[in-house]
Amino acid sequence: MKNIITLFSFILIITSCDVVEGPYLIDDGGATPVDTSSNTYVKKVLIEDFTGHTCSNCPAAAKELEAIHDVYGDQIIGMALHVSTGFASPHTGSGKYEYDFRTKWGTDWDNFFDISNSGLPRGMVNRTGYPNEHKLGKNEWLAAVITELEKEIDFGISIANDINGGNGTITINTELLNDVNGDYKLVVCLIESNIINWQKDGQTDNEFYEHNHALRTVLSDESLSTSSSYTSGDNCNKLISVDLSILEQYNIDYSANTAINGSGNAGGWNAENMSVIAYIYDNTTQEIMQVEEAHLMNK
Amino acid sequence: MIKKISLTLTTACLTIICFAQDNIGEFHGDFDLNMQSYQEDELIGAKAADEMILNNAYLNINYTKGNFAAGLRYESYLNALLDFDDDYKGNGIPFRYATYTIDGLEVTAGNYYEQIGSGLIFRSYENKGLGVDNAMDGVRLKYSPAKGVYLKTFIGKSRTYFTYADGIIRGADAEVNLNEALNFESKTRVIIGQGLVSRFQLDINPKFKLPQNVAAYSSRLNIINGGWNYSGEYAIKLNDPIGSLTAEENNYANGSALMSNLAYSQRGFGIIAEMHRIDHMEFRSERAQEKQYIINYIPTLTKQHTYTLLALSPCATQPEGEFGTQVDIFYKIKKGSFLGGKYGTKITFNFSNIRSLEKGIKYDIDKNEVVEISNSFKNDYNDFTPKFFSKNGELFFRDINLEIYKKINKKVKATGILAKQSYNKDVLEGKTTYGTVESTIAIADISYKIKKGHTVRIELQELLADGGEGSWSMGLIEYTISPHWFFAVQDMYNWGNHDVKKQLHYVNINCGFLSGSNRFSIGYGKKRAGIFCVGGVCKEVPSSNGFSLTISSSF
Repeated sequence: MKNIITLFSFILIITSCDVVEGPYLIDDGGATPVDTSSNTYVKKVLIEDFTGHTCSNCPAAAKELEAIHDVYGDQIIGMALHVSTGFASPHTGSGKYEYDFRTKWGTDWDNFFDISNSGLPRGMVNRTGYPNEHKLGKNEWLAAVITELEKEIDFGISIANDINGGNGTITINTELLNDVNGDYKLVVCLIESNIINWQKDGQTDNEFYEHNHALRTVLSDESLSTSSSYTSGDNCNKLISVDLSILEQYNIDYSANTAINGSGNAGGWNAENMSVIAYIYDNTTQEIMQVEEAHLMNK
Repeated sequence: MIKKISLTLTTACLTIICFAQDNIGEFHGDFDLNMQSYQEDELIGAKAADEMILNNAYLNINYTKGNFAAGLRYESYLNALLDFDDDYKGNGIPFRYATYTIDGLEVTAGNYYEQIGSGLIFRSYENKGLGVDNAMDGVRLKYSPAKGVYLKTFIGKSRTYFTYADGIIRGADAEVNLNEALNFESKTRVIIGQGLVSRFQLDINPKFKLPQNVAAYSSRLNIINGGWNYSGEYAIKLNDPIGSLTAEENNYANGSALMSNLAYSQRGFGIIAEMHRIDHMEFRSERAQEKQYIINYIPTLTKQHTYTLLALSPCATQPEGEFGTQVDIFYKIKKGSFLGGKYGTKITFNFSNIRSLEKGIKYDIDKNEVVEISNSFKNDYNDFTPKFFSKNGELFFRDINLEIYKKINKKVKATGILAKQSYNKDVLEGKTTYGTVESTIAIADISYKIKKGHTVRIELQELLADGGEGSWSMGLIEYTISPHWFFAVQDMYNWGNHDVKKQLHYVNINCGFLSGSNRFSIGYGKKRAGIFCVGGVCKEVPSSNGFSLTISSSF
C-alpha cells in the first residue's frame, strides 16, 4: 500500500503544468534599468558574442544581445567577435561577404576559450564558468546576466578619451571599492558599431546588415598593477596613446598575411562609431569582474 | 564534485567487492577504447590535433546479486575525439546506480535510462557514436499492481556532458495489457499505454511570461492479431517557449506528434506501412535551444542504410515539423522456383518520403516583415497551426530502394541494391545554397568462401549525382580468417566533385584481431567530413586523417 501511495504521489506532482495565456509580453517590460549616468559605480556585464558573417543563425544571437540591453540598459555591454575560418573568412571575388571582420585577438580568444569548435553563435557572459561551463548558447545568456548583475563590485572603472583626427589618448582609472587580493588584469579594446556589410540571416543574404559592437583592436591586456593586494580606495591609472591608422593597418596586415583565407580587406574604420571597452578580469578564473564602455570621440 | 562522487563510489564498490567475495554475487563489465591520431591534410580540410592523439575510453562495471544490482561507468576523454563535442573533457564517473526489486516494486536510485512509449515525449539514452548521453540522475520506481498492469514513475535531472541541466524532469507511465488484465483469452491482443512528462524550470525572464512547468503527454495503442500488428501513438507538448527576450524566438504553440504503423507478416512475406506527423515537438531538459538538452526522440521514417554510399546523405528527423511516410516490403522467392534457385532469393523494397508540414506565414515584429513558417507558432502577433495534411510541403528526403539477396551456392553470396534518393541538403544540413541533391546509387556486395574459415568479401558502390559533392565510387575488399582475423581496404573516390581540387580518394585500411572476449583493431586512413545518423539523430563529423586503435573487451 505504501508503494502505491508513493507512486501516486509522484503522479500528482506531475499533473502540475502551466498553460500561459497571452498577452505574453509583460506590460512594463520587466526589469527597470539601473541609472548608470550617476557617478556611483554599478555592476556591468560583458556579453562576448562569437559570430561570423556567413553564420545564418548568428543574427538571432545579436538580436538577443540587443534585447538584453533593452531590458537592462547600459549595464549590458556587448562585443561581437567574428571568428572561425568557416563562418568568418572573406569570400574574396564573390561580390558578397568580402570583408574580413576577424582580428588577431578574436582568434586568440576563440582558441583559448575554444568557442567556435562548439558551433556558432555562442557567447560568454563575463567569462564565467570557465573552463567547462563558459560557452553559452544565446538562450542561456539571460540567466547568466541575472546572476552576474546580482554580484557585488570591487572595482569601479572610468574611461576618459582625448582623441582628435584619429590620434590621442585614452585614460582608464580603476578605483578599488573593497579590499581584494588576486591576480587581476585590465583589458582595453575598441569596438565599432553601425558597420553596414553583408550578413547571412537565415536563408537571406543581407547586403545592408548593421554589424554592431564588432571588436576592432585590443589596446592593452596587462596586469592591473604590480601588486596582488588592493585596498579599498586605491586607484590605478592607465594612459594609452592611440593612432587609429596604425591600428587599422595592423588588422589589414593580419588579414592579408596571417588569418586563414584572409584578404587584407579589413579597413574602413569609422572613429565616430567606435567605443572603448575596458574590463578587469581575474587571471586565475578568467571571470570578468567589472566592465565599462565609453564613446571614443566623447560625443 | 566529480572527485567527491568518484571517491564515494570507489569506497562503495570496494565495499561491494568485499561483500561479494563472501557471497555469490556476480560482476560483469565491458571496456571500450577508441584512440585516433590526427594529422593535418589541407586537401580534405582535416585538422591536426594539438595533442596529436585523442582518446575516448569507457568502463562499465555491473554487480548483481539476486534482486539487487549496482553499477557504474567510468568515462575518460583525454581529450575527446574530434568528432565529439569538446565539452566531454577529462575523466569521471558520470553514471552510477543501485537498484533492487521486492514484491513487484523496483526501486532505482542514481542514474538510469528510461523511455516512455516510442520516445516521442521522453527518451533518456546513450549512443556513444552520436555523442548522446542524456542519462537521468534521480529516482525511479516501477510497479506492477495487478497482472498486465505496469506502472513506472521517475524524477530526476538530465545529464549534459559532465553536469546536469537546470530543469527537473518528472515522468509517469502506465501500460495495460488488456488481455492479461481482464483475463480475456482472444486471438487479438490489445495493449494500451499513457505517459506523462513534466519539466520544471524557474521563470526568470523579465519581459515575457513563461510556463515554469511544461508538460507533455502521450497515448499509445498496440493491437496484434495473427500476422497483423498495429501500433500508434499520439503526443502533445504544451506551451514551451525557449525563454528568449525577443518575441519572435518565443513560440507558445503546443507541439504534437502522431505516429502510426501497420504491419503484416507471414512466412516469406512482410509489409510495413508507416506514417508520422511531427509539429513543434522538440522537448528539452532546459528551455535553451541546444542539442545537448534534448530529452525526447522522434524515430526516423527512413531506412537505416549500412552501405557507405547509401548512407552518405542520411535523413535527420526534423522535430519542428515533418510529415513522413514509409513502406517496407519483404518477400522471399521460394527455393526451387525459377527465380528462387536452390536457396531462395530475398527481395526487400523500401520507399520513404519526408516532407515539411503545410507552409504558412507569420509576422516578424522584430524585422517588421512577413516570413514563411511550416510549424505551429503562437505569440502575441501570430497563431498558426499547419493543416494535418500538407498541400504545399517542401520535400526533405525521398528514398526508393530495392535490395536483392541471393545465396548462389555454398561458397558465394551476393547482395545487390539499387536506390534513388532525393536529399534536401539546405534543410537537413542547415545550408543555404545547395537545394535538393538527386542521386542514383548502385551497390554490389559479393562474399566468397575460399575454404573453411577464409572468406573474402567485395563491395562495389557507385553514386551518381549532379548536386552536392557530385558523384562517388567506392570499393572495399575484406578478408576474414575466422575466428581471429580480419583485414579490409577501402577507397572512396569523389570523382564527380565540381571542384577539381576536391576530386579526392579517401583510402582506409583496417585490420582486426578477435580473441575470446577481446577485440583489437587498428586502422589508417582519411575520413571525409559528413553527417552521421542513428535513427534520425545526426551529428556532423569533421574530416580526419590518421591512425586509429579500437579495443573492446567484456567479462
